[in-house]
Amino acid sequence: MREPVSGKQRGATRTRVQRGVISILWALAGVALVVFMWEAVKFVGSFIDLPLNTSDTSMPHVWTMVDAFSNPVVRGSDTTVLQAVVSATLTSLKIALGGFAIGVTFGIILAVIMQRFAFFERGLLPFVIASQTVPLIALAPLIVGLGNRISLGPIEWTTTYSVMFIAAYLAFFPLSVGALRGLQAPSATSLELMRSYAARPNQMLWKLRFPSSVPYLVPALKVSAAAAVVGTVVAEISTGVKGGVGRLLIEYARETTSQPAKVYVAVFGAIALGLAAAALVSALDLYLTRNLPKESQA
Amino acid sequence: MSSVQTSHQAVDVQGLWKIFNEGSNNEVTALSDINLSIKPGEFISLIGPSGCGKSTLLRVIGDLTDATRGEVFIAGETAHIAREKQLYGIAFQQAALFDWRTVRRNVELPLELQGLGKKERRERALELLELVQLSDFAEHRPWELSGGMQQRVAIARSLAVDPPLLLMDEPFGALDEMTRERMQNELLRICQETGKTIIFVTHSIPEAVYLSDRVVVMSPRPGRITHTVPIELGERNEDTRETDTFYAGVTAVREALRGRSTSASPSRIEEF
Repeated sequence: MREPVSGKQRGATRTRVQRGVISILWALAGVALVVFMWEAVKFVGSFIDLPLNTSDTSMPHVWTMVDAFSNPVVRGSDTTVLQAVVSATLTSLKIALGGFAIGVTFGIILAVIMQRFAFFERGLLPFVIASQTVPLIALAPLIVGLGNRISLGPIEWTTTYSVMFIAAYLAFFPLSVGALRGLQAPSATSLELMRSYAARPNQMLWKLRFPSSVPYLVPALKVSAAAAVVGTVVAEISTGVKGGVGRLLIEYARETTSQPAKVYVAVFGAIALGLAAAALVSALDLYLTRNLPKESQA
Repeated sequence: MSSVQTSHQAVDVQGLWKIFNEGSNNEVTALSDINLSIKPGEFISLIGPSGCGKSTLLRVIGDLTDATRGEVFIAGETAHIAREKQLYGIAFQQAALFDWRTVRRNVELPLELQGLGKKERRERALELLELVQLSDFAEHRPWELSGGMQQRVAIARSLAVDPPLLLMDEPFGALDEMTRERMQNELLRICQETGKTIIFVTHSIPEAVYLSDRVVVMSPRPGRITHTVPIELGERNEDTRETDTFYAGVTAVREALRGRSTSASPSRIEEF
């Protein structure tokens, strides 16, 4: 006597693997389209004057870019550009992840405090919002300057930490705002229900508010991860810290006249960084929403 | 403990007032001078038009909102202590099941909050799911169930801590007529099996008459009790809804709601 079951049955005709393959194919088609348009613009530009310089020095062929992967970093070096970019990307990824983790932790703690104490929300939220209006470029040297004066005993504060701090600073904001909305999401009925069980404040938080906040938390995590990546790259550029993909972008951009394709390899590195962050958040998304109806996935 | 006569009642409401925004321009008297005594095992319905304060009365009894004046005792304890001691279970119009928990773990929630062991609460939840005939769905997610089934889970959950009193705020309000009648029969069966006292808020006259030992009729502006209609239907069965006694009860409640009294509703009439 099983009664009809709600919930979407659409897409059930295709397996998860099939759907995965199809989405990968679409992604590849998107990349192919960008490559095609790039080359098409160059091709058209060789016949007529476009308001865009399509010469090989400013718009190298896609295959020249691919070729540049295997060039040595400097003439006679054993290290290829690809190796340099991969290593720089990994360095930046570590910084971005560190910043993301700190930002998420701090963002959630702040959201819990603002939810629990209404006066904190009124008092703190304007500052949280105002904090994001200060331009990152202006902030970076300031943070480095302050950071250099921090002494943590055995741990030496390096500029890398300053970069991580800036990434965290950018990541925390969307998260705290999203988490706050999520913590305030439970319906009046759910709250009354918990009250009728004489639930303690911490039970309220763990058994109701945190689980209810997941649908709000997931999009916030996506924005935060992107912010952490952008923060890392921009902070690397403006602080000039070595080792990351931001610095590499600057260095390679200076070599455009001699090796125009080289900077694009660094760009690919930055893209890979963004994709890695997105993949991480998607994995988090799958984990956090594993028990929820599929409709609630934003 | 309160006075001697109140400690015998399942619920005792004495001179209760609830006034929102007291003293300000938009002051609203939601409940005015409510007096209501309910015997253990009694099934009471609160009925009345929107705004008559029946849901507010239920919430004051459950200590979900404060009384402005007057007192509420549940099994001789103040409403606050009664809530702390889990002397009542509650069910709302929305089942309010937690999507991230399985059906079984939803029923376990009140026990979990009380710190009961994993094994005990699991056993208790499965027992209750059997009572509401949902044993096969224990490991399903709430959103996989129909509205009627979700409401049965909510009832099972309200029974989890085995409270002597159930507060029900239009629990079948969102269900279709057929499901609703089936749920009413199930609720009566559960009452018989468990001997609970029930306060049931509803908009439906037939529902109130079919379920209750007494129908408490309320009226708005200010929210107050105008009549109490005793119902003598005896054992309910398939044919009860077609008996003359049932129709007489329906008529009596309807007349009471219109502010008139008939011979069938002799109990208590207040001037208004």
